[in-house]
Amino acid sequence: MKRILLLGMGNPILCDDAIGIRLAGYFKDRLQQFADLDIIDDCSLGGFNLLDILKGYSRLIVIDSIRSGGAEPGLWHYFTADRLRETMNLNCVHDANFATALELGRRLGMHLPADRDIHIFAVEILDNRTFSERMSDSLENRFQPLAEEIFTHVSRLLKTHHQ
Amino acid sequence: MKTIRIDPITRLEGHGKIEIFLADDGGVQDCHFQIPELRGFERFVVGRPVEELPRIMTRICGVCPASHHMASAKAVDGCFGGEVAPLAHKLRDMYYHAHYIHSHIAHFYALAAPDFVLGPDADPAIRNILGVIAKVGLEIGGQVIQARAMAQKIQQLLGGRFTHLVWCLPGGVSKGLKKIELEKIKPMVMELSKFADFSLKLFRDIVLGNPQYVDLILNGPYTLDVHSMGLVDENNASNFYDGQVRVVDFEGKEICKYQPHEYADFVAEHVESWSYLKFPYLKKRGWKGFTEGIDSSLYCATPLARLNVSDRMATPRAQAAFEEMFQTVGGKPCRALLANHWARLVEMVHNVEMLERYCADPEITGDQFRVIPKKITGEGVGIVEAMRGTLTHHYTCDKNGICTSANLIVGTTNNNAPIQMVTKKVAQALIKPGKDPDQGILNMIEMAFRAFDPCYSCATHSLPGQMPLEVLAYKNGALHWQLRRGI
Repeated sequence: MKRILLLGMGNPILCDDAIGIRLAGYFKDRLQQFADLDIIDDCSLGGFNLLDILKGYSRLIVIDSIRSGGAEPGLWHYFTADRLRETMNLNCVHDANFATALELGRRLGMHLPADRDIHIFAVEILDNRTFSERMSDSLENRFQPLAEEIFTHVSRLLKTHHQ
Repeated sequence: MKTIRIDPITRLEGHGKIEIFLADDGGVQDCHFQIPELRGFERFVVGRPVEELPRIMTRICGVCPASHHMASAKAVDGCFGGEVAPLAHKLRDMYYHAHYIHSHIAHFYALAAPDFVLGPDADPAIRNILGVIAKVGLEIGGQVIQARAMAQKIQQLLGGRFTHLVWCLPGGVSKGLKKIELEKIKPMVMELSKFADFSLKLFRDIVLGNPQYVDLILNGPYTLDVHSMGLVDENNASNFYDGQVRVVDFEGKEICKYQPHEYADFVAEHVESWSYLKFPYLKKRGWKGFTEGIDSSLYCATPLARLNVSDRMATPRAQAAFEEMFQTVGGKPCRALLANHWARLVEMVHNVEMLERYCADPEITGDQFRVIPKKITGEGVGIVEAMRGTLTHHYTCDKNGICTSANLIVGTTNNNAPIQMVTKKVAQALIKPGKDPDQGILNMIEMAFRAFDPCYSCATHSLPGQMPLEVLAYKNGALHWQLRRGI
């Protein structure tokens, strides 16, 4: 089993909520060089369902959307799970949020990545309430430079892991 | 007048807000349960090939995607003439029972159990599934997670995925069940059968074994004199995937029973300026406002409502659990909304028995799982019981099979008016003049609508999100006090 998992989180037809999926899809081919990496570029799951996916991995990279209020679309944040802020999709309201699910899994003895090994890239978005296959103009226009910035950081993280 | 705002609500699908309007003497005058989100899914699908809709509809929400997939598939079947391979109906139904088990486990253990295992007024910091596991033990926690995962695995083996299905096609399904897959499913069904019995026993021990909880369920403010809606088969036994919609009043008399394609003759939707969500009611009775009583036009569509409209369960162990429940709650129909939590467990017993039945069916691994449609008839209505209530999809398409209209009435929408009413009722019972509510009282207000397991992510066709809780109380327009949770 590979040790690292990269997840693109979101809903592909909910306007800017697709950003995590779009970015993960954009990275997919370019990250083939990392033999220890699995990529799920269209992950629309949360809560306990995420436990089923994460089980057995030592490291996790999540790309997701966030609305922190008033921030410019395309601005992005990086943090690890020990400083977890809730992004839009790491919440699962039917059972438990991501942090709770992780804690539960650990108490039950599951092999899950430690908080410091869960790396979250959260992109500020404008609209996640309109069904659309296209993201808002502000995010579409910003996509290419945004993707390159995050790709650089993701690559660096993966190289660090392999050292 | 003073306003208390509970915004947003915890342990609930989607983003909701409660505004409680207090009179000058401090008593509750009115209560609005609001969903500040937008719709738009029906418009999004117009102009697309109608056979794509079952695959698109699962993206409305990650909580009950299989319900939308099934209702959508049945509506699309109708658009293509309605002929479906009999084996496909069995496979879809089998999948759906596994989906129910997964959902009911999540709701009962993660959302409902904290209120009963830890108590309604427990510290909010521990009133969650971690607190439940801390109290009942890690071993039970492990069983919950394992059972949930097995229900997911069964879905995956049947439909290729446990979420966001791409399985159902007009006239059937895209893959059958191989014998080797069936052999993997059988032992999991045996384990789930034990787990369903265990869950019922846990409910008996923890909830029924506590006289205060029984009193709260039966004699608390969590009751409503409105009617019940649910799907039944030809014997008036509960059915989740197929059948006719039956509505029974709260004294047990049948009000109406209709075929899916007749839904528009029986259900209409009322609009209020303060809510994005509509309020369905029984059309032939007309909109009579948010009123209880035998002449009311309002109904619940919940697990309890499904059992209320059913004369019986189709399987023996579920029938025994059904009889035990109604005997304990004082007869059938039951108006005590907190009994919904029990009803979910009765349904879970039925779900595992149906899986057992399908596992023993010699035809289930057959290869005639699709009839290729040969004509486009242009209109279809699909109704299933989503875990949260009766789910209706109605589509029309042109002669080329392009969708020209779509209308959805989702489970939670059916319950919108009753949720408003019971929230107000509980607030009136618990918030007393001269005493500001504490976290325990606020949680007991939330318990009123949590019994419905409402899911607003598809009701408003918006994004779900578990949010912190903030309560703001205003008096004469100024902030009087506030409570915060998780902020």
